[in-house]
Amino acid sequence: MSAAVGYATKWGALPTLTGAPTHYCAGCEHGTLTRLLASAIEARQARERAVLVSSVGCSVLAHEYLNVDAVQAPHGRAPAVMAGIKRARPDLLVFGVQGDGDAVSIGLLELVNAANRGEPISIFLVNNAIYGMTGGQMAPTTPAGMVTTTTPNGRDVATTGRPFDATRLLLGLDGPAYLRRVFLPVAPTGSADVFNARGALDGEAAIRHAFEVQERGGFSFVEFVSTCWVNWKVSILESKRYAARVLAPLFPPGLYRDRFGVEAR
Amino acid sequence: MTALPEFLKGNEALAYGALRAGLTAFYGYPITPSSEIPETLAAKVGRPEFPRFRVFLQAASELEAINLAIGTAATGARTMTATSGPGFSLKQEGISYAAAMELPLLIVNVNRAGPGLGNLGPEQSDYFQATRGGGHGGYRTIVLAPDSVPEMARLPALAFSLAFRYRTPVIVLTDAFLGQLKEDLPVPDVAPEEWDTSWAATGARGPVRHVLSSLHLELADQNRHSRHLAAKYAEIARTEQRSEDVATDDADVVLVAFGICARLARAAVGSMRARGLRVGLLRPITLAPFPRDRIDDLVLSGVRRFLVLELNHGQMVDDVALAAAGRAEVRGLTEVGGLLPTSAAIGAAVEAMAVSPTPLVAAEEVDA
Amino acid sequence: MVATVSDALPRAHVSVDAERCKGCDLCVVVCAPRNLRLRPEFNRAGYHPVEFRYQGDRGECTACGLCYWVCPDFAITSVDRRVP
Repeated sequence: MSAAVGYATKWGALPTLTGAPTHYCAGCEHGTLTRLLASAIEARQARERAVLVSSVGCSVLAHEYLNVDAVQAPHGRAPAVMAGIKRARPDLLVFGVQGDGDAVSIGLLELVNAANRGEPISIFLVNNAIYGMTGGQMAPTTPAGMVTTTTPNGRDVATTGRPFDATRLLLGLDGPAYLRRVFLPVAPTGSADVFNARGALDGEAAIRHAFEVQERGGFSFVEFVSTCWVNWKVSILESKRYAARVLAPLFPPGLYRDRFGVEAR
Repeated sequence: MTALPEFLKGNEALAYGALRAGLTAFYGYPITPSSEIPETLAAKVGRPEFPRFRVFLQAASELEAINLAIGTAATGARTMTATSGPGFSLKQEGISYAAAMELPLLIVNVNRAGPGLGNLGPEQSDYFQATRGGGHGGYRTIVLAPDSVPEMARLPALAFSLAFRYRTPVIVLTDAFLGQLKEDLPVPDVAPEEWDTSWAATGARGPVRHVLSSLHLELADQNRHSRHLAAKYAEIARTEQRSEDVATDDADVVLVAFGICARLARAAVGSMRARGLRVGLLRPITLAPFPRDRIDDLVLSGVRRFLVLELNHGQMVDDVALAAAGRAEVRGLTEVGGLLPTSAAIGAAVEAMAVSPTPLVAAEEVDA
Repeated sequence: MVATVSDALPRAHVSVDAERCKGCDLCVVVCAPRNLRLRPEFNRAGYHPVEFRYQGDRGECTACGLCYWVCPDFAITSVDRRVP
């Protein structure tokens, strides 16, 4: 044997990514999620049966980056479009990325009813607690007191309601088979300048589980607690610290339902 | 295939017609006077005589229904939703997206009366909303208007054929009267047509993938897409005008009417011909594209008087006037609120028009 | 990437597409050994792109891949591990 030493790629290019540069702001979890989706699709060898439904908001261009067939839905209607695809073609792996405004505000009816019927689709909610693409208005998930362009004195929960917990709302329905919430941003550790990346690794696993649940006939929903430093008007790393401090207690990560026990194995 | 029932409501006939045309999925939200369409279809899922019909879902809202249909249409399958005015308004968002994404889709509007909740009587007051592209952003749809129960059964096949040929939403605009009217129904047994669906989003193969999106962030891209749509609508307007003529050859007055009004006009033509009045009927079958070429032909062959009969405050009369382009007198006879014009009113309007002075333009042509 | 190299070379290598990088710092802060850093130069988009450097001041690269997983811009193009 030769004593030659070489390098082997452990993680490399994903054919399920188009390679197009993203329009996302630096450090945005939308970008991170895109890679996780690509990875999970490849893990399930599902590219040829995958159909992405992109919604309105920062997720609207997901089909530019994910190299899969895609349909773009009107604002909030992605769950209905997904269900329409899946009912016509049960053999397809149908999934969508929605923001909090899209899924929890303008599209709540579509989300709740698709969930209640247990449509075998996978919905990935990016909850960054604010309207990103429209420029930083209050979202249903905005924490109390957060200053946004439409709550210049901070969100007053007495008049605008409390932050909307979509995962717990869906937990009240019998329809969903898989409900999980993942804290996606890099998270502060005991060491001041070191963050952990557990959210990304958990997120990729959650997506794979969600796909498995769909292919076993169940409705799966993963909420990704995320950040939006541009509209929160803080630095990138401060947005991650804020998310850990304020959003994580408000939207606790965890496995809320796993009817098929896909995570137990 | 099994023979259809032979005596049906218009709404039921339309449902059977859609099944015969290869309908795969129906999504709808109940609304009077259209509900016989979902009720008829709900019982047909899984029935061996309609093997393609696999999906029936009562949606949670009109919005959900049109978007479920968008999803199914994106897979290249034949899908339909049905509603009446208030629901048709709610569906406009989805129709705009479907037009932009070039999805073949059938939307049925069983027109009821009045703005707001109105009432359950027949009107044709959604004519503008249907024919002008009722949602945002400047698109057009094809609009078909049946005038009998057998035609309610026949038009879904034509609607799907046009929807897939041009990849565009198609609307069947009918009314509360025709939807509820019962008639004998001899429907020919025809096999569903097949169309190219290679554009559909059903999973990417190798480097080929399909993205059905209405978003074109680059201004030049949107410009190109809008021009592409406009060219398609122009081709449709050029080649897909459909209408029926009744006794127009020698007519002094040509009635123009669609749907239930065409039935009233047809009867009026018969009774007035019996009294020696030379009256004809032009019945648009495509409200969009409007059969303006046929109006043009009639004007060129000497018709100088058009009386437009419709159940609204005067909408199609604008299209007739545009087509006549000042070369003929165009009047309207309208009724609203769910009521129909009486035969006496139609007769009086025709007589008044027939004895009126020959329109100025025509007089000049005669002098020349 | 397979090349004959000497045992003196590091156990792993991280490749970066500097033109894709938006300099968000996420890969930098998840790398405990600090094997990544933002360059003082700008890329064409005007960001300070990240670069992989071999000499971590807290330890060597283990090809853990956290930088790859958190990168929102797919700018960490590959993580290679030394074989055998």
